[in-house]
Amino acid sequence: MNKPGPALEAMTRRLLDTPAEFMDEPRLDGMGTVSVAALVHDLMRLHGHRVPASWLEALGGAQARARRNRLAVAMIACWLLADEWFVAQALPGDALCALFMDTAPALAESTPAHNFVLDAGYGEELVRVTLAHFGYRPADETPAQAQDRLAAVSGAARRRLLEASRAAEKRAREVREALARKAAEEAADKWTRE
Amino acid sequence: MNPDPLHHERFPTLSAAGQRMLDFMRDHPHAPIYRNDSGNRLLAHEIALVHSFEDDVATADVGWTPGQPPVWVRDFIAETFRTVPHYRALGSPPRRLEDLAPIARADLAADIAQFVPDHVDTARLMLFLTTGTTGHPLVVPSHPLVAARYAAFHKRALRRVGIEPRYGAGQVGVVLLGFQQRCFTYVSVSPAMDESGLAKINLHPNDWRHPDDRARYLDAMAPEIVAGDPISLREYAALPCGVAPRAIISVSMALHAGLRALLEERFRCPVLDIYSLNEVGPVAVYDETAGGHLLLQPNLYVEILGDDGRPVATGERGEVTVTGGFNVCLPLLRYRTGDHASLVVKPHGPVLENLAGRRPVRYFGRGLWWNNVDVTHALRALPISRFTLHQAADGALALGLAADSLALAPAALAALGQLFGDHDIGINPITLEDKVLQYTSDLAGALETG
Repeated sequence: MNKPGPALEAMTRRLLDTPAEFMDEPRLDGMGTVSVAALVHDLMRLHGHRVPASWLEALGGAQARARRNRLAVAMIACWLLADEWFVAQALPGDALCALFMDTAPALAESTPAHNFVLDAGYGEELVRVTLAHFGYRPADETPAQAQDRLAAVSGAARRRLLEASRAAEKRAREVREALARKAAEEAADKWTRE
Repeated sequence: MNPDPLHHERFPTLSAAGQRMLDFMRDHPHAPIYRNDSGNRLLAHEIALVHSFEDDVATADVGWTPGQPPVWVRDFIAETFRTVPHYRALGSPPRRLEDLAPIARADLAADIAQFVPDHVDTARLMLFLTTGTTGHPLVVPSHPLVAARYAAFHKRALRRVGIEPRYGAGQVGVVLLGFQQRCFTYVSVSPAMDESGLAKINLHPNDWRHPDDRARYLDAMAPEIVAGDPISLREYAALPCGVAPRAIISVSMALHAGLRALLEERFRCPVLDIYSLNEVGPVAVYDETAGGHLLLQPNLYVEILGDDGRPVATGERGEVTVTGGFNVCLPLLRYRTGDHASLVVKPHGPVLENLAGRRPVRYFGRGLWWNNVDVTHALRALPISRFTLHQAADGALALGLAADSLALAPAALAALGQLFGDHDIGINPITLEDKVLQYTSDLAGALETG
């Protein structure tokens, strides 16, 4: 985070202005309209890199239920990284690949993709994490300030994920227990029974 | 004072008159041997909610055009993605319904807890079990209010034939029939109908002190509505009942046109064939003039999907797929029902044409392929309660008939002669307990369309 980057507001503004096409449905299992592999391919070309087709096909990972949000986050990251400031930095190809393989999927764990566009707080998180991934910090922030603020938003995201996971597990257990308990009882009246 | 500790939980609002109705139905000298207990479980404030829901359903239109999801669908998707764990894990809601991957019974069966919204109070949660024919037994989460709201759709269907249910205190509103070796039976009252009686009985002689008690009891109860599946309704038609209900409702499996005609003739009342699923509730009612099953739920959007998960062209056959519904414990987004039909718009709303359970099967005879719908049409004039048709890999055909319909075998074979010529067709009795697919084939090419 030693290198000064763009103004934070300029990048969060860019996210607020994300074109609707970048929030369309990623193509997955025969559904959706956007080929995220093609989108990322074009972005890599914009940055002067080529990536193998097998790497592009692996985007989103193997977990079926997690893939959709990971691909949707990758689409929004593409829009952000297509900003002329990022393009002018000659970002290294391996760092770009790592963003799509590691950093973006990690963001997708705790946040529905479109929140990064629709909510300024989540947008700031995406910008800070992306800048830090490439070793930059927002303009007008010292390295220490940038580190503190990144730690704050990332920590909040980790807490969100942890709390949501705990709550989901607890709720699923309660529902399963309630249904198992009710299985021993009769239900209530319906005018007809299928 | 009822000694059963669960009595109050089953009947939270029961009055003295309601208790008298329960006693009347259970203790009648000709009553069946009631095997179980159940109740309405409705809390006092929920009775008003049932009434207001019925008012809404009575007047609302199913006002959408196939292929164009109504405006409420967008909010429904957003709410479901916000509150249902399965969908929350997918990320942001899609901008269009058709971008969402459909789900099927197997998805629900894998872990139903993932489909129950966060706001559902587990203390009031209850379940209906469905065995189905697809190898995926399913637990359907529900709620006393959801169960009570079924009546709103039955009343909507009944109004179409000029029947306004009106039985109240001191009268029996609904008798649900079964005809099985073992059947869940009980008595209850409907608080939203001024505690009119509701009984679920088994017409199988095993459940009666004397078989003649069946007609005597039904005459004594004089229910306003009788509901059942085609097998129990065929048995009902054969009983020497002197009192007819104001209407008959058939659910669970397709009501054959011949059996409907027999019931209408026998009881001189409207007979409704309602397409209903545990997962969705009452979906549609058969309407002869509309040429199919007219949709009943104002907040249920229906698509017809092909095998590739994409909507078929308007009027083409495919899988009935639903979004929305009234079960707050199981909001459905593009749920593939496993049933097949085409969807057309008629003056009274969208209609499912040629509705048939499960995947279409075609049969080979006289050098031609015949769709299972052709088989249904060929047999439609006969009052058969239940049948199956299977074609073996060598082309041999076997017609399965319920025991009560075996006498109709010669007429059924003659009717099938229109399709299969003088092709030998074997006859197999099917038992009451058999839960089997109606149309099956091992012949190569039978599952292809066209």
